[in-house]
Formats: sequence, structure tokens, C-alpha cells
Amino acid sequence: MKELLHLKIFDNNDILTVVALIFGILTFATVLFYVIGVLKPNANLTELKSRTKSWWVMATVFIAATIVNTNISYIAIGFLSFVAFRELYSLLDFRQSDRRAIFWAFIAIPIQYYLAYIEWYGAFIIFIPVVMFLILPLRLVLKGNTEGIIKSMSLLQWTLMLTVFGISHMAYLLSLPEIDGFLSGGRGLLLFLVFLTEINDVMQFTWGKLLGKHKIIPKVSPNKTWEGFIGGIISTTIIGYFLGFLTPLSTEHVLLVSFSIAISGFVGDIVVSSIKRDIGVKDMGTSIPGHGGVLDRIDSLAYTAPVFFHIVYYIAY
Amino acid sequence: MHKLILQVTYSFLLRWFLKLIVGVKFDDATFLKNTKQFIIVANHNSHLDTMSLMAAMPSEIIHMVKPVAAGDHFGKTKFKGKLTNYFVNALLIKRGRDKENPENDPINQMIKELDKGYSLILFPEGTRGEPEKEQPLKKGIGIVLSERPDIKYVPVYMKGMGKALPKNDGLIVPFNSILKFGEPTEVESTNVVEIVNQVEKSIKGLKEKTANNR
Repeated sequence: MKELLHLKIFDNNDILTVVALIFGILTFATVLFYVIGVLKPNANLTELKSRTKSWWVMATVFIAATIVNTNISYIAIGFLSFVAFRELYSLLDFRQSDRRAIFWAFIAIPIQYYLAYIEWYGAFIIFIPVVMFLILPLRLVLKGNTEGIIKSMSLLQWTLMLTVFGISHMAYLLSLPEIDGFLSGGRGLLLFLVFLTEINDVMQFTWGKLLGKHKIIPKVSPNKTWEGFIGGIISTTIIGYFLGFLTPLSTEHVLLVSFSIAISGFVGDIVVSSIKRDIGVKDMGTSIPGHGGVLDRIDSLAYTAPVFFHIVYYIAY
Repeated sequence: MHKLILQVTYSFLLRWFLKLIVGVKFDDATFLKNTKQFIIVANHNSHLDTMSLMAAMPSEIIHMVKPVAAGDHFGKTKFKGKLTNYFVNALLIKRGRDKENPENDPINQMIKELDKGYSLILFPEGTRGEPEKEQPLKKGIGIVLSERPDIKYVPVYMKGMGKALPKNDGLIVPFNSILKFGEPTEVESTNVVEIVNQVEKSIKGLKEKTANNR
């Protein structure tokens, strides 16, 4: 119990600095939108305001759940995967005969996070891409309904990869062994990844709004522009450089991972956008006001998490 | 004591289970507290329907709401019947009318409960049927409302529960579902068929509304 209540956050100044920075940015944004609202009553800020409000909630929950106590983090990130998986598969028109296999896919979520928790890297990294890949089709075949079975096999595996395998890399960051002289540890890396991914989304959005002219991929996402994309990459890489103290990496490597986060975050964003177009929905859900569903918020994380994890794992561990 | 058990089971335990695990999105139901007495009429696809509706009720009035259920299914054994009565607060009725035995006639039973001051939850489609498919409404709701025209009905549309727990399957597989309330409405006619049509239209209207917000 004492261990549970012990706030590790106060032992580490690096992490505390970034937490203060996050709340600083949110305060700034809140004040900024409030002032603009007073000066220009005609400006339509409702969406930005509700987005910022949701950011407050998400940042607080994230910091409480992941930075304060590592054990709770596994459960919290696992639950995030669960909600995202449920959200996506519910929109994908599975057959009624797929229910048993879908149930097994749900069971795979706690197992995947448990493997991360017990730090069994070998099993963690093959469980979904190999074990579930082999088992889920079998469960579908045993049900005997072959009409449309290829579609169900592919959809189920792909949904599991995007919402569970990708996101679970966030949890495994916490299970990485300690490195001498690197105090922030897994929580520092997780904070770096999430902060940079989200700031990348915000930066691409902001630069796009300010300068955006040339559409980058109009058929998928008409609001994405080259200006936003490039502005986002540059800003994110620079911000990453200043947050390098949260990682055990050298300066060049910090720039490399920051750059990779910016690119892969953009890719995750447009991949999920294209799915939404295909299904014919604007948002994946309605659980986060101003943002849409859970998957609308963590779409880029599903891509940045594995990319960031494997680069760091290769370089530093 | 019974009220407290219902409150803990539905307004707390089941509500959170349905919200967090199954993925039911509840509509705000505080307006029901200001509606003295009502009959909830909803489409029916799953056993989760009754659970969700009970969990959606404001906890202050939950003991005054009785879901109407088929006696042949839930009252198969005396024990099952008692259990359903206690934990679901259900009113068990026969599926068909019983003219010789007015005591056991489902319509009379429902009216008796209404006269005692209870509100009812009714699935006018009768059985759950195929998942996510509506069936024509049965006449019972029309007869009850024509006998007690001052009681308002509240249409409810539910979507997704039939996928989370379909008929003939005991396994719950989480599925993002929604429960949508309509306005408390008075019947516009005393004719049974016209009332049934009005109720059906209200539920269909809600369905279209939720489809557009998808």
C-alpha cells in the first residue's frame, strides 16, 4: 500500500519539469482562447474550446495513470486498447458467426498487456502477430460459416494489430530494463512519446490552419496540407530536441526519433482517416468532446508507439 | 431495502459494467424524475435491453419502474420467477390474452400496476427476434394506453445490444451500443390501432435521428 501511494513523480525533476510544461501549455491555450473570445466575439471557438477542455481531462488522466504509478499504467493503457478495439470493430460489420473469435480477440488484450507487465519480450512481440494470427482464423473456421470468412479473418487481425499490438508498445516502454545514469526510465520515454505525438498533431493542425495552401492528400483528408506537414515535422523535431533529457539517447538520435515520430504520427492519422471515409463516418465515436472517439485521438499513437519503441530499443537497449 | 438493492444493482454496478465493458452510451434520463408516471416503449433485441433501460433510470425512481416480461420465459420455475421479480422488479405476464381469467389477463395486470402508481417498461415487439431488426408492434400497448390515456409514453430506441448479446446466445461480446430517449408523449387518439401506429412512428423517428448522428 505504501508503495502504491508513493508518488514517484516527485523523485524525478526531469519528469516534473515536463508535467509542469504540459499544464503550462494547457493554461496558455485556455487563456488564449478565452481572450480571443472576448476580443472577437464573432470568432467560432466552440470546437477549439471543447478540444482544450478535453485535453485538460486527458492530460490529467494520462499523468495520473502513467507517471504517478507504473503498475496502474499497464491497466490504464490496456483499457485504452480495449476501448479503441471495441470502437473500431463495432463499425466494421462483422458477421454474427464471428462473435466467438471476436471474444477471443478481446481476451488477447489482457494477455498482451500481462506479457508486457512481466517483461517477457519474446512472447510480447510475437503474441498478436504470430499466436493470435494463427489461432483466430482457426476459431472462425471451427464455426463453419465460410461465406465472407476471408474478410472476417483479415479485419479481426488488422483491428487487433492497430489498436492492441501498436498501442501496447507504450506499455512495454515501462518494462524496459534500467540503464545506469538514466533516471527517468520507461516513464520518461513514455512521456516523451505521448507528448511529442500529441504536440505533433497540434503542430500539424496549427501550421495547416496558419499557412496551409497545398493539399497533400485531398482524397483522404482534405484539411491536410504540405505546409502543415512540413511545419509540423520541423516544430516536432525541435521540441523533441529540447525534451531529449527524457531519453537515454544522444543528440543525433533524439533528432532521429523526433523526426520519425512526426512522420509516423502523420501516417497513423491519415490511415485512420481513410478508414473513416470507407466506413462513412466523420468520427470513430463520441466519447471525447471535440475530438470524437478514443481512436480519433490515439490514431497517431498506434503508429508512433511501435516506431519509437523499436528505434529506441535498437539504439539504447 | 428492496429499493437500495435495486439502486446498487442497476444504478451503480450494472450501469458501470454496461458503460465501461459492454460499451453502452446512455442518454440523459433525469427528465424522467419530472414525469410522474410513464410507460417506456422500446425496440427489443437482447436481454441487455431491460438491463440497460433499468440502468438508465434515475436511481430515485428505479423502484417505481417495472419491466414487463413474458412469464413463460422468466417464470418457468417458481424460483426463477421469484428471482426475476425481486432483482428485475419485473411484472411477469402471459403472452396471450386470457378472457376467462381476468386476474391473469396481461392487459388487466399491467393496468393494475399502473393504478398502483408504477411506471412500466414495455417491449411492444413482443420477442427479441433477429438481432438489429425491428418487428411490427403488438396491440397490447395500444389497449393499455387507450384505457389510461392520461399516462404519457416515452419512446426509446436501442442499437447494438442485439450484437453484444443476441437471442439464443449466452455470451456477452462487448459492442458499442446506444440508448436514446424520446420525449414523454401523450396519445393522440383513443383508437387502439392508431395508438400503436403513433408509438411505432415515435420509435422509428428516434431510429432515424440516431442513424443521422452516426
